[in-house]
Amino acid sequence: VSGSGWYVYGVVPAGEAGADVFEGAVGVDASEPVVLVADGALAAIASKVSLAEFGEGEVEERLHDPAWLEEKVRAHEAVLEAALGRTTLVPFRFGTIYRGEEQVRRMLREHAALKATLERLRGRIELGVKGYLDTERFAAAREEGGAEAQGGGGRAYLLRKQAERELADAREAFKGECALEAHERLSTAADDARANPPHRPEVSGRPGEMFLNAAYLIAPEGQERVRSVLGELESRHSPHGVWYELTGPWPPYNFVEEEDE
Amino acid sequence: MSTPLPQSNRLPQAYGGGQPAQLADVLERVLDKGIVIAGDIQINLLDIELLTIKLRLLVASADKAREMGIDWWEGDPFLARGGDGALEDRIKRLEQAAGLEGKEVEQRR
Repeated sequence: VSGSGWYVYGVVPAGEAGADVFEGAVGVDASEPVVLVADGALAAIASKVSLAEFGEGEVEERLHDPAWLEEKVRAHEAVLEAALGRTTLVPFRFGTIYRGEEQVRRMLREHAALKATLERLRGRIELGVKGYLDTERFAAAREEGGAEAQGGGGRAYLLRKQAERELADAREAFKGECALEAHERLSTAADDARANPPHRPEVSGRPGEMFLNAAYLIAPEGQERVRSVLGELESRHSPHGVWYELTGPWPPYNFVEEEDE
Repeated sequence: MSTPLPQSNRLPQAYGGGQPAQLADVLERVLDKGIVIAGDIQINLLDIELLTIKLRLLVASADKAREMGIDWWEGDPFLARGGDGALEDRIKRLEQAAGLEGKEVEQRR
């Protein structure tokens, strides 16, 4: 497959951000500049890609290569981050490609509902909050509270087994309570909220069990509130082995379900 | 837009310095969220390698999530379609245990 296509990263209101926003941004094809393709009130953040790399079939070959995938996915994110904070944007999912510039313009005309989405997202960013439990610290804190089994011998063995079960139950219950409380309280600072499945430890790379993996759509005035809620939660939960991780600002990936038709 | 977060709160790399965002966070967003609008070239993101990644991301604890009232798999087309028999069986068992008899799972197929 030869020729080129246009890869679209997202959509912004036309005329709000200059093309200079993407100066120096490296797209999914590092040799092509990232530009704005405008039609009416909307503009697509786009760059040319070679169909030798991104053509149907070709791209699916490359999806098997984790290094390729990571590079391209991070490039997609980096391009959107260049615009984040400079203008409102609707992030596209990875791999939206058109045959030519005219087809990109047609997409903009056919999806007029993107204007309403941009309006809803105006000035908003996404923040991610993840909550983790250090299970050893949780156990130690519980022992300090006097829940440890004592003694030796067969009876002590059974008692110890029972204590282990109780510890596991208490840990699961505690994670659930923390997740619910954190999500409810953080949601009050947000326009919208999503609880996604927690990542497993081998994915998160963190030395604890993730119990919360949430995203919040935040107006500028809500950002301070998120930080203060998190600080307050952490001061109460941390003695039991809990910590929270704030990520972002992100493009509002979690808040752009298709809402037209 | 105004007032970006101070850099100390920006774990991902956007505002220079700091560590890059965790790959899992970026993959989850760029591959699994974001608006889906049809392009001219169809990329099948349900490709087998991606299924593996998605599984690693998504298969946390379904029972925990249900306990917390978070039924994330209900709306996930990937899980609803059932790319992995073991996972679907597990969800079905959970639903049966919860008295749902796995009916919704069947209907979505």
